[in-house]
Amino acid sequence: MLRSLLLSSVVSALASLALAQDQVTVFKNARILPGGQVPIENGVLVIAGGKVMGIGSADLAIPDGATVVDCAGKTITPGLVDASFRASNSNDFNENGDEVTPHLRVLDSLDPDDRSFARARASGVTTVHVMPGTRSVIGGLGCVVKTFAKSPQAMVLKEDASLRIVMGAEPSAGNRAIRGGSVDSIYYRRPTTRMGVVWEVRKAFFDAKESMQMTAGVPPTPPNPGMQVLTRVLKGQLTAVTTARSEQDLRTALRLATEFGYKTILEEAQDAHMVLDELAAAKTTVLLGAPSATTIAGSASQDGADPRSATVRLLADRGIPFVITTGSNLASLDLVREAMFAARNGLSAVRALDAVTIEPAKLLGLDQRIGSLAPGKDADFVVWSTDPLDPAALAESVHIDGISVLASR
Amino acid sequence: MNAMLRTSLLGWAAALVAVSATCQDQVAIKGGKILTLTGPAIDDGVVLMTNGRITKIAKTADVEIPWSAKVIDATGKVVMPTWVVAHSQGGQRGFNENMQNVPWLTVADAVDPAAIYFEDCLRNGVGTIHVMPGNQTLLGGFGMVVRPFGRTVEDMAVAANTGIKLSLFAQGGGRLQQIRKLRRALADVREYLIDFDRRKAEFDKEKAAGAIAADKTWTEEIDRTKKGAVDLVQKKVKGWLYVPSFAEVDEALRLAQDLDLQIVLGNNIDEAIAMLVKLAKPVVLDENLEYFELDEETQKEKKLCSAKLLADAGVPFALTLGMTGPTSYAWWQLGTCVRNGVGRQQALEALTIVPAKLLGLDDQIGTLAEGKLGNVQILTGDPLLATSWVETVLLEGDVVYERAKDPRLQYLFGDEKDKAKKAGGPDKTTDAPKPEAPKTEAPKAETPKPSGETPPGGGNGGNGGNREVR
Repeated sequence: MLRSLLLSSVVSALASLALAQDQVTVFKNARILPGGQVPIENGVLVIAGGKVMGIGSADLAIPDGATVVDCAGKTITPGLVDASFRASNSNDFNENGDEVTPHLRVLDSLDPDDRSFARARASGVTTVHVMPGTRSVIGGLGCVVKTFAKSPQAMVLKEDASLRIVMGAEPSAGNRAIRGGSVDSIYYRRPTTRMGVVWEVRKAFFDAKESMQMTAGVPPTPPNPGMQVLTRVLKGQLTAVTTARSEQDLRTALRLATEFGYKTILEEAQDAHMVLDELAAAKTTVLLGAPSATTIAGSASQDGADPRSATVRLLADRGIPFVITTGSNLASLDLVREAMFAARNGLSAVRALDAVTIEPAKLLGLDQRIGSLAPGKDADFVVWSTDPLDPAALAESVHIDGISVLASR
Repeated sequence: MNAMLRTSLLGWAAALVAVSATCQDQVAIKGGKILTLTGPAIDDGVVLMTNGRITKIAKTADVEIPWSAKVIDATGKVVMPTWVVAHSQGGQRGFNENMQNVPWLTVADAVDPAAIYFEDCLRNGVGTIHVMPGNQTLLGGFGMVVRPFGRTVEDMAVAANTGIKLSLFAQGGGRLQQIRKLRRALADVREYLIDFDRRKAEFDKEKAAGAIAADKTWTEEIDRTKKGAVDLVQKKVKGWLYVPSFAEVDEALRLAQDLDLQIVLGNNIDEAIAMLVKLAKPVVLDENLEYFELDEETQKEKKLCSAKLLADAGVPFALTLGMTGPTSYAWWQLGTCVRNGVGRQQALEALTIVPAKLLGLDDQIGTLAEGKLGNVQILTGDPLLATSWVETVLLEGDVVYERAKDPRLQYLFGDEKDKAKKAGGPDKTTDAPKPEAPKTEAPKAETPKPSGETPPGGGNGGNGGNREVR
């Protein structure tokens, strides 16, 4: 009896949720920055069934029976997309079993109730790209998830969006023999130097190439899951994301990609301003980490990068594609504030906002669904109290698949 | 000969005084939007300063700028008072003394005029800083008010011995231990004082009884290492008490009954708001205004803002600025206040008028008004916008900072590695005009004193020779 009562109440709750989704909701009188397009003053946004139905200026027809939300004085943007997001349980993202674990999936470590998702939602971030930690040389597969969905499964947009490779001091930082043994000890976790890190990458891709050549035409036996992932990178089926901060590491990352013939995106890239020519020649995209920070927090300070305020503008001037992320810098701010700092440092407001919406969506191959507001796309959007690049801007309501996700406001 | 020389020197001095009296040092900031912070904004106004003080604020049309005045064109810009930081540990070489009970120390011995902090202060429009010992102390010594310009501490000093630092910040032994230690330290001082008075009374009594020779007098003075603390318990100097969180507010209020205390709050204060209302005094806030609170039942986080909580409760507060990072920018702090629901004017006052009053300098600084010091900043836009930059800072009527000549900004925004530009290629900026790119040359007319305006740490470290040294 009780169970059937409970069940029926759950069913009715679900039904009302479905009803709420089918219901047409109209947000009007807002300034809409649709992402990748010109701003719409006094705009109208129509959503239904978790998708954008229509977007336009004040003369857009409002369907009968629609719920109308007046957004006078507010600004609506697409939900922000963080292309390099640090979840708060990220210490669970560093596998110590091996330095090269291309087949591990960060999705398996991800807690859908992680506090950082709630923080991200509250600051207007609706989709994030999460990668394994920075303490392994090749950590594994990154995934793209929404910061809210009705079920954990529904959060996932891409299970294997990228392969993370890490350059520099971090994968070797703290690698010491247990109880202070000698350098020759088998307990000595390796690598311990930059050259050791590079060697691990080189060896992995060398082995993958070997296995590709050996198995040309022949079905691979036995299948090595790590090799399969690396092979996909070599064939251009999977994007490599190389974390590199200093000028030296950025050059090394590009050199390795050229050597083995794979394409890589460069992540963090605080020293991008020093390798502009190389970046332009390699036609690579940069996931710029925390452009607000003038220092590099965490163990990465050993990388000796020299972040400059000019970097975002220099990348824009040179036509090098880039995305603004919060990255692994502990000093990073909310993503919208990182975009704000980029605007302060010389990027136009439109470009700064694109760099946290449509540009990362394109990079992740999800621009058909997210990153901008257009009919048929996911109804992921934020109603800001004022211009989102104003330090006084507050995400007053955040909608993911049409569902308002900020409970307390 | 000697006498003659002295007379002639005196004569010279008199002549100099006469000259400076007739040929006044005047600066006019013209054409900007003036935010006096006390009344409505004045569009296209003039701020005229004479010998370092503001002598006129009015619409450009209503002022006749003297022909001899140096004119700074602020057309299209915002002109407002420099920020006042009520409590900071910045600019010191080591601000946490390992010994905890050191009321005889002074930050004057720790302030480093060459510290990047002071450079950053000018860059961010800060004109007055109350430098205090660090929070990891018990009775930590004296603070001083400085301006971020000058080659020596004396040159920077605005007010010395502004109060003594006390802290309830738990170190090692924990919160209760710290409370106990502070009570003990203050009790020690009071006992010393009682003992001192008793010995003096006995001396007087014995002298009256003839046991001590009549020509002998009481020569003992208050122990110099205890003098500061004695002055504190006698309410001759103000105590600046750091209260790290809500848990220590109760003790702070108890201490405030017997001492002249200024409370400096940490950021986790929501549970002590009612007590702070009872205190009925303005408080100084930590630079971190927002914090998360975790509900232990639901594991849900809530973001709180100390400034908003106090504003709602009607407790006046002064904001402070951090030493580095976003909180070192006034626009960030003010923006944080406004997005959490604090009024714009209250936020602006919390970084100008309120701290000036707390430092007892409200007749000198904090607003733009006739008679006050010419501590003025010129911004490229509204002070609450991230895209606004401090263009020029004047302290006491002297230009002490110009963005166009800021070597550090040139470094951070430099594009020396961009070879296309280095080769003189076209500047194909697809974006809006670069607000950050420092101009290579400022118009000569806008440069009042070519010799004395290099910011500290930049160029020759020049120091306006005509400034009065206090």
